[in-house]
Amino acid sequence: MRERAEKLSAVDVHGMTKVYGSGAVAFQALKEVDFRAETGEFVMLSGPSGSGKTTLLSILGCVLRPTSGQVLLFGQDVAGAREDELPALRLRLIGFVFQGFNLIASLSASENIALVLQLRGWNPREARREAAKLLADVGMPEKADSLPRDLSGGQRQRVAIARAIAGHPPLILADEPTANLDGHTGLQVTAMLKELARAHRSTVVVVTHDNRIFHLADRLVHIEDGRIGKESA
Amino acid sequence: MKDTPSVIETLMTEQRPSERPVRFLRLRTMVRVGTRMVFHDHLKFAGTVFGVIFAVILANQQLGVFLGLLSKNTMFIDNAGADLWILPASTQTLQAGKPVPLSALYTARTTPGVAWAEPLLFGGATVSLPGGGSEPLTIIGTAAPHWRGGPWNLVAGSVDVLRQPETMIFEDSERDKLGGLNIGSVREVNGHRTVVGGFTWGLLPFAPSYTFAEYDNARALLGTPSDQTNFVLVGVAAGASVDSVVRALQVEVPTNQVLSSTAFRQRVLDYMLTQTGIGTTTGVSTIMGLLIGLIIVSLSMFSAVVDNIREFGTLKAIGCRNRDLALVLLLQSSIYGLLGSIIGLRLVTLMADAMRSPKMALVLPWQTFAATPLVMIFLCGLASLLALFRIRKIEPGMVFR
Repeated sequence: MRERAEKLSAVDVHGMTKVYGSGAVAFQALKEVDFRAETGEFVMLSGPSGSGKTTLLSILGCVLRPTSGQVLLFGQDVAGAREDELPALRLRLIGFVFQGFNLIASLSASENIALVLQLRGWNPREARREAAKLLADVGMPEKADSLPRDLSGGQRQRVAIARAIAGHPPLILADEPTANLDGHTGLQVTAMLKELARAHRSTVVVVTHDNRIFHLADRLVHIEDGRIGKESA
Repeated sequence: MKDTPSVIETLMTEQRPSERPVRFLRLRTMVRVGTRMVFHDHLKFAGTVFGVIFAVILANQQLGVFLGLLSKNTMFIDNAGADLWILPASTQTLQAGKPVPLSALYTARTTPGVAWAEPLLFGGATVSLPGGGSEPLTIIGTAAPHWRGGPWNLVAGSVDVLRQPETMIFEDSERDKLGGLNIGSVREVNGHRTVVGGFTWGLLPFAPSYTFAEYDNARALLGTPSDQTNFVLVGVAAGASVDSVVRALQVEVPTNQVLSSTAFRQRVLDYMLTQTGIGTTTGVSTIMGLLIGLIIVSLSMFSAVVDNIREFGTLKAIGCRNRDLALVLLLQSSIYGLLGSIIGLRLVTLMADAMRSPKMALVLPWQTFAATPLVMIFLCGLASLLALFRIRKIEPGMVFR
C-alpha cells in the first residue's frame, strides 16, 4: 500500500483560499494557492512574517479548515472531512514538529515519544522500545528518562523530531523548527529530520525563514502575501 | 471522508503492531498522561487537594455536629430498652407534657404480646446551688427492680443506690456546674433534700442533663399525682410483632399515642429538623462547605487547564479527541476528590476525637466515610466541567501560533 501511496502526491492543494474573519474585518491569508509535495520530498516553505506560510501548514496539518479549494493528502480531500475525523487523520498520518517544541512537561523524553505510538494503538512495551530506538536515532539514548525541563533547546527539538517520526507517519510538518535554536544546532536538527524522514520515505514540509537551512531542501517554495511565488530546487 | 477504502485509510491502519483494542490502549495512555500531569506541578496539586480537604473538613464537621445534636435528642429512646412507647396524644418529642393515666400501664401489662410494661416519669426541675442560684435538670423516674429507661453509662455508684431514700444519680460532666458534686453531696431539688448516689457520663441532651431517681422519689420531686405518669415503656414478648402489639395497644388506650421506638425516634428527628433551626443552620453550613470546596477545585482545575493550555493544544494537535481530554480531566478531578477526602476524613476524625465530650460530640457514622469520597469525586467532576468547556474551545491550530 505504501507503494500505491508513493504513486500519489503526498500533498496536493488546488485553488485554496483561507479568509479569517468576515465583512469589513475579513483578512485573506491565502489566495488561490496551488501547492504540491511528492512522497518522500523534503520541501521548505519560506516567506516573510504574515505571508500565510503557517496558515498553509495548519491547513495541511488538518488543524485549520480552508475557506475554499481542495486539499488532497495522499489523494483524498481532507478539506471536506468531518470534524470528528480530523483527530484520527492527524494522529495516523501526520507528525508535527513545533517551533516551541511542545513536549508534555510531565512526561519524560521517552514517554513523550511513546505517547503518540500508544495513542495509535501500540502496546506500551513496544512503544517504549521504539521510543528508545528513536532516541538513539536522534543521538540521545541516555536522556530517555529526562524531563523536558532538564533538556537544552536543541535536545528538546531532537525529542520533538523523534516524536514526529515515531510510527513513521507518511507526512511530517515542521513549523519554524530552528527558531529557538542557535545556527549550528538548527542546522543539525534539520539535517537529522531530513535524514530520518528520508529513511522511511516520509514527506516533510518545513515552514522556515532561516536561510541557513535552505540548502537542505529538495525544493524551496516562496510564499508572499498569501500567494505561492517562485520555487527553487 | 469517502466510504471506499483508500490509500489514506490504509496508511492510517498499517502502523499498529498491538493486537489489543485501540480503545483500551488509548484509555490507558490518557490515564497515564492525566495522572502524570496532576502530580507534576506540586504546588498546584497541593493547593487543589487542600481545597478539597478544607471542604471535607468543613462539611463533615458541620454534619458531625448536626448528627451529634440529633443523637443527643434521641439517645434516651435509643437506650431506654423499650420496643414501644405509650405517650400523651399531643407529644411530638421526648419532653414533659400532658400526663398519661397510670391505667394505661395496667392495660399494657394485660395486652397479648406484651412481655413487660414500666412507667417512666420525665420532667423539668431545678437544683439549688450552694453559692446561691439554681440550675435546671431533667428528672427521670424509673421503677425498680428493672430500671427500664436507665440510668446507663454509670461511671460512679450503681443503679441500686436509687433504692435509698432521697438519692439521685447525676451527670458527671455537670459536677462543677452544679456546685462541685461528689458522691454523698446534698442538694435541694425542687425544694426536696437530695443526696448524690452516683454519676453517669455523657447523658447530656440538647437540654438540661438527665438526672435519675427511683420512680416514687421522682413522683414526689415532680409532684406528679399517683394515678398519672409521663410515659409507659413496653417490651414485646418474643415472637410477637412490634407493629401488631402497637395496633392492639392503640385500640386499648385510644386517648394516648402508641408508637414503636423506631417511629418515636423518627418523630423526634422530624421535629428537630422541621420545627427547630438546627436542620437549617447546620444544613446551610454543610452545603456552604461543599460549595466552597467546589469553587476552589473548580478554579484550581480551570487554572491548571489555562496554565497547561499549550499542552492540551499539543495533545489535540497530535490526535487526541475532546473526549480523551475530558477523560484526563475526569481522572484528575477523581484523584483530587479521593485524596482530599481521605486526608480530610482523617483530619475530621482526629478533630472529633480531640473535641469529644459529653457537651459536644461530632457524630461521624460509617456512611459519612463511604459517602464523602463519592460526593467529593462527584463535586470535583462537576468542578472540572468549567475546565472542560475551556478545553473544548482550544483550537489545535494554536500550537502553530
